Amino acid sequence: MDESSSKQDSPQGILSLKNIHKSFGGIHALSNVSFELNKGEVHALVGENGAGKSTLIKIITGAYTPDAGVIQVAGEEFEGLTPSVARRLGIGAVYQEFNLLPDLSVAENIFLESPPLNKVGLIDTARRAREAYTFLERLGTHTHIDTGELVKNLTVGEQQIVEIAKALAMEAHILIMDEPSSVLPSADLDRLFSIVKTLRSEGHGIIYISHRLNEIFEIADRVTVLKDGLTMATKIVTETNSAELVLLMVGREMTDMYPPKDNQPGELLLEARDLCIEGTVFNVDFQVRAGEVLGMAGLGGSGRTTVCRSLVGLGKVHSGQVLYLGQPAPRSTAGAAGVGLVLIPEDRKTFGLVLNQSVRFNVALPNLLQFQRSGLLQGKVENDAVRRIISDVQIRPENPDMGAENLSGGNQQKVVVGKWLLANPKLVIFDEPTRGIDVGAKAEIYLRIRELTHRGVGVIMASSELPELIGMCDRILVFHEGRVAGELVRKDFSEEVIMRLATATSASTTPVS
Amino acid sequence: MAVAQTSTSSSAAHRSRKLIAFLRNNASLLLIYGLILVVGVYAATQAENFRTISNMANILRQTILLGMIAIGQSVVILTGGIDFSVAMIARVVALTVATIFAAQNSNPALIVPLILLGLVVGVALGSVNGLLITRTHANPFIITFGMANILRGVSLAIATTPIRGIPREYLRIYDTKIGIIPVNVIVMALIWIAAWIFLNRSRLGRAVYAVGGSERVARLSAIRVNRTLMAAYMFSAFCASVAGLFILSRSGVGDPITAEGMDFQSVVAVALGGISLYGGRGSLWGTLGGVLLLVMMSNVFNLLQVNIYVQQLFLGLIVLIAVAAYKSPRSAT
Repeated sequence: MDESSSKQDSPQGILSLKNIHKSFGGIHALSNVSFELNKGEVHALVGENGAGKSTLIKIITGAYTPDAGVIQVAGEEFEGLTPSVARRLGIGAVYQEFNLLPDLSVAENIFLESPPLNKVGLIDTARRAREAYTFLERLGTHTHIDTGELVKNLTVGEQQIVEIAKALAMEAHILIMDEPSSVLPSADLDRLFSIVKTLRSEGHGIIYISHRLNEIFEIADRVTVLKDGLTMATKIVTETNSAELVLLMVGREMTDMYPPKDNQPGELLLEARDLCIEGTVFNVDFQVRAGEVLGMAGLGGSGRTTVCRSLVGLGKVHSGQVLYLGQPAPRSTAGAAGVGLVLIPEDRKTFGLVLNQSVRFNVALPNLLQFQRSGLLQGKVENDAVRRIISDVQIRPENPDMGAENLSGGNQQKVVVGKWLLANPKLVIFDEPTRGIDVGAKAEIYLRIRELTHRGVGVIMASSELPELIGMCDRILVFHEGRVAGELVRKDFSEEVIMRLATATSASTTPVS
Repeated sequence: MAVAQTSTSSSAAHRSRKLIAFLRNNASLLLIYGLILVVGVYAATQAENFRTISNMANILRQTILLGMIAIGQSVVILTGGIDFSVAMIARVVALTVATIFAAQNSNPALIVPLILLGLVVGVALGSVNGLLITRTHANPFIITFGMANILRGVSLAIATTPIRGIPREYLRIYDTKIGIIPVNVIVMALIWIAAWIFLNRSRLGRAVYAVGGSERVARLSAIRVNRTLMAAYMFSAFCASVAGLFILSRSGVGDPITAEGMDFQSVVAVALGGISLYGGRGSLWGTLGGVLLLVMMSNVFNLLQVNIYVQQLFLGLIVLIAVAAYKSPRSAT
C-alpha cells in the first residue's frame, strides 16, 4: 500500500505496529491494524468516531494490551506496552482534555514528573524555570508565556503549549496529538501548526489525529484511515485529496454536508437588550426570530458561551434585559425549558449527559412532566417517547438501556439533542453542536437543525467552526472580547470577514495575499 | 472479514452482553442477599441462641429503627451527599418530646401533638441542612457533621440524665400490634414503600438520581437541583425523627445517648446495600439488605462475644471497601 519507504533517503522508523488485534467482549475494536511512524514525520490518523483511533492510541500509550500483533519501538519488539514502559520508550501524548494542574505554575506543570533537583535533593526552582523557558523557547512561544504564571490564567491555546512542553520534558520523541485543533480558537491554529513543524524538524515523530481534513493537508506527511477497526489505507498526503479520504472514512461521498437554506424568519422570539454580564459580556444586543438560525462566532473566551448560558438563566446578568416572547426570560433552566427555551450545552460529557445512566434516563430527564399521570411517572409512556426519539435522531445502537458513557461521541451528542427535541422547544440554543464528532453524525445534526427551523423553531448556533456557521446560519453575530464586533447577513458571509471581526483586525492592516 | 465475523456473532454477543449487564447492575443485590444467607446459616450452626424466635424478633426490631434512618440516608446518598446528622436529629427529637412530657405531668392528651411537634422539629433541622448545603455549596459531610455536633451540644443542654415522665400510653406504641404485625414494622414498611414510589415513580425521585449522577447536567436538564437537595435532606430528617420517636417509646425514658452511632451505621448499611457513595446509583432493596445484614452481623458478633472494638473496626472496613468498590465516576471514564 505504502511506498514511502523507498521514496526519501531511507526514513528511519521509530514506531511500528503490525497486525494489531483488539476486541472487547466479542466486539472487534481493531482487526489486523498496522501503522508506522518515522523519525521527523507527521503521520495523521483519521476515521469516524468508533473507527478505532482511540483504541489504537491506547495501545501505543500502553493503556491497552493488544490481543495479537507486534509493537516495535526503536528496534525493540513488544507484545504490549504498559504506561510506564511507553513513557520510558519516549512515547508522549497530548489529549483533548489536558492533564495540567490549574493552580500550579507553568514551570511546575512542565516538570511535574521529574523536576530538576539541587545537591541536597530539593527542587531547584531557578533551574526549573530556566529549563521550562528553554522548552517553551524551542517551541517558539517564549514571548507569550511566563513560566511563573499559574496555568489556570492561560488561554486554552497556551495551556496546550504547556502540555506539549511537558511531554518534551519527559523526553518524548513519539508524540501523539489527539485532536489538538478541536479545543483551539481558529486564531491559535497557525501557532499549533508551526509548533508541529518545529517538532518534526527536530526529528520527533508525531501522530496527529483530527476530524478536520484540511489540517491534514497542511501539516501531515502521511495519513492512515481507519474504519470499523480496519486500516483502510495509508496514503502520502501529496498523493491524495480530501474527497478520497472522506470516501475511505465513511464509505460514501459527502457531497453537501449542509441542507439547503430555505428559512422563512417569522415572529420575534427572543431579544437581548444591552446585555451585560460582570467582566465578560458588554452591551450585547440581538434578536432571534422563529424559523431562523442565528450564528454566534468568536474566539474562545469571547463571551459567546456566557451569553448562551445567560439566555437560559445561568449566571448573573449584571444589567440589560433578555426578552422572550415579549416577557423577561425566566431566570432558571427549569423555568426556561418550561416556556420552550432550551440550551444544548457545549461539552456533552460535562454538561449534557448523566454518563452513568442509560440513554432512556438521559432522554427522559428534562421531559418528566410529559410522562406523569396523576402524579406518577408512567414507564410505558416514557419508553414509547424515548424509542421515538431514538429512531428520530438515529441513535445507534437503538437500545434505550445502553449506558450513555458507552456510546460514541456522535451518538452521545444525538442523545443530548434528542432529549431536547422531545421537549418541543420554541427556541434552541446549540453551543458547539458538532465538536469532536464524525462527519456522518455532523451531517445528521445539521439535518435536525434544519428540521427545527422548518417547524418554525428559532435556533441560535454558537460555534468555533466557521464552515458550519456559514453553511447553516441566516445571520452571524461575531463576538470579540465580550462585545458584538459585527453582525453579518448571508451575502456577507466569509471566513475571512468573520475572523477579522473576531480578532479585531481591520481590513487595512491585514496583509493582502 | 472481521466485519462479517462481528455481524454474525453480534446477536449472541448482544444476548451475553445483556446478561452481563443484568448481573453487573444487580451484582450488589445478589451479593448482599447471598451474604445474608451465608451469615444466617453460619450463625445458626455456630450459635444456638441465634436460632431462637426471640432472637429473630430482636434482629427484626433492631432492623426497623436503623432501617428507618437508612431509608432517609439512602435518598441523601443517592443525591451524592451524606447526612451525618441523622442520629443527633433522632436524639434531639426524642429529648424534646420527653422534656415536654415531663414538664406537662405525663399528660397522655399531648401524645399526638407532641409526635407532630417532634416531626416538625426534625424536618426543620433537615431543612437547615438543606439550606446550608444549597446556599454554601460546601461539602455535605462537613455541613451535616457540624450540624450533628451542634445538636449533640443541644441535647446535652436538654438533659444529661435520663428524662422520666413519658406517659404509659406513649410507651405502648412501640409494642402495639395491628393484627399480628407490630406498628413499628408497619410504619417502617410504609416509609420504605413511600420512598420506593418516590424514587422510582416521581419526578422528584428521578431528579435525585440525576443530581447524584451529575449536578451540572441535572441543572442544565431543567431539574430544580436546590429543591431536590432540600427535599432529600428534609426526608432524611423526617425518617430520623420517626426513628427518634420510636426509640423514645421503646426505651421509656428520654435517654441522653439516644441513637448513638446510628449515623455511621446508617451510612454503612447504605454502602453495604450497594448504593454508590458517589451518588446516582443503587436501590432501596439494597438498603433493606444492608440494614438486615448489618444488624444480623452485630447480633452474631454479640452472641459469639466478639470484642466491641473489633466490631467497630469491621464497620470501618466495610465503608472503606464500599468506597473502593465504587470507583469515582471521574476515574471510571
